[in-house]
Amino acid sequence: MKRIIIILCTVFFAMNVLAQQDFTKDMTTAKTAYAAGKLEESHFALQQAMQEIDLIVGKEVLKLLPPKMDSLTINTKDDNVSANAGFVGTTIHRSYGKFTKKADLSIISNSPMVSMLNTVLNSPILGGMAGDANTKTVKVQGYKARLEKKPGSTEDKNDYELQVPLGSALITFTVDDCSDTEILAMANTIPLPQIAKLIQ
Amino acid sequence: MKKFMCFVCLVAALALSTAVPAQGFLKKLKDKVVNKTIDKEVEKKTGVPAESSENGNNNNNSSSSGKPTNKGGGGLTNTEPPDVKAQMAEAETAHGAKNYSDARYSLQQALMGIEIQLGRQILKSLPPTVVSVPADTLQDKVMSTQWGWSNLSIQRVYRKDDKQLTITIGNNGVYSGFVNMYFANAGMMEASNDKQNFKQVRVKGNKAIIQYDDSKGYTLMMQMGQTSLIVWECINFANEQEVMTAATSFDIDGIKKEMGEQ
Repeated sequence: MKRIIIILCTVFFAMNVLAQQDFTKDMTTAKTAYAAGKLEESHFALQQAMQEIDLIVGKEVLKLLPPKMDSLTINTKDDNVSANAGFVGTTIHRSYGKFTKKADLSIISNSPMVSMLNTVLNSPILGGMAGDANTKTVKVQGYKARLEKKPGSTEDKNDYELQVPLGSALITFTVDDCSDTEILAMANTIPLPQIAKLIQ
Repeated sequence: MKKFMCFVCLVAALALSTAVPAQGFLKKLKDKVVNKTIDKEVEKKTGVPAESSENGNNNNNSSSSGKPTNKGGGGLTNTEPPDVKAQMAEAETAHGAKNYSDARYSLQQALMGIEIQLGRQILKSLPPTVVSVPADTLQDKVMSTQWGWSNLSIQRVYRKDDKQLTITIGNNGVYSGFVNMYFANAGMMEASNDKQNFKQVRVKGNKAIIQYDDSKGYTLMMQMGQTSLIVWECINFANEQEVMTAATSFDIDGIKKEMGEQ
């Protein structure tokens, strides 16, 4: 077990160092190309540098997330950060638990699509959809959020989905077979203010 | 005699009753004439058209809700595009200090600066006249958003009398996706019309689609490389041939190279 932790830490550290190196390399290319008047080349290198930043931010966010959600343990294999300049933005993903009960957290940041979606999400929060029997507006650590009830694995069980819009970012947290109190208690362990500071 | 006195009293009473509103009317008319004369005098001396005092009192420079109406202002001053070198240096400093949010912001600003420069270069390379229609350079536009490469738009308008050509060069994956969709469905769309007003053409060897609409004129859309797109909107052009001649007078390979498309 100790060995695995050491190996994981080394891999993580190496990846971090590589990302830093890539950023420096991209910035050097961007500066050289710009000085030579090669605007398109410089533009491409800057975009690459921006993706590196997004990846670093994603990894920093993963570090902030709790290692456990109630009794559900982390699935390290599922940890994922993918950066894509343009409409899709950056996606940060983590999951907890196995088989019967799973919790899934995904954060999409820096996406214009999401900022458009958030406008829509925010309108129902202010009124409209509050009347829907399966949807309700809740507050998680002071942030407005939308909680939706979905059919669970059996008739008497429900899945819940919590969406927290944050500017051009959207945090989606789903938990299988649980109650609204359970999902909200779990969501309260996610350090939202620190995440918001990093991704905005 | 008694009858005569009654008649005189009646006439006097009638005369008085009509005199009161008549007096009011006369007073109003007199005021209006006086106000108009004053307004004319003010107008003569100041050169500013004066509103009559009646209207002035009603409007009092505000709308019905009591909110003042804006009569004009200096507008916004044009800001220079972001200084690319400074923004790149700031991004590096912020990254070094692990302030990733600021580093990202500076990179976005640098990208925007480059896009605006690139847009201006492309505008310079466009021909000054197309099918003897001159460019209206006052309407030249370069737009860039903070979202990076996917939203650069360059626009130029050529206009002479009621003939107008608008060329828009954009780098937007979503739009060019739409054109791809057109290419995939063109056969169906062409078949569904009695009179063909939509078809595929080639502009200097590049695949394009041309559309005609009585209210809009001709629209020619050409996909360029992976994500770029050129759109020509031609109003009051004689025929398809004239549109194609106009389109081929642009240096498409040059634009492609500048946009970094293959």
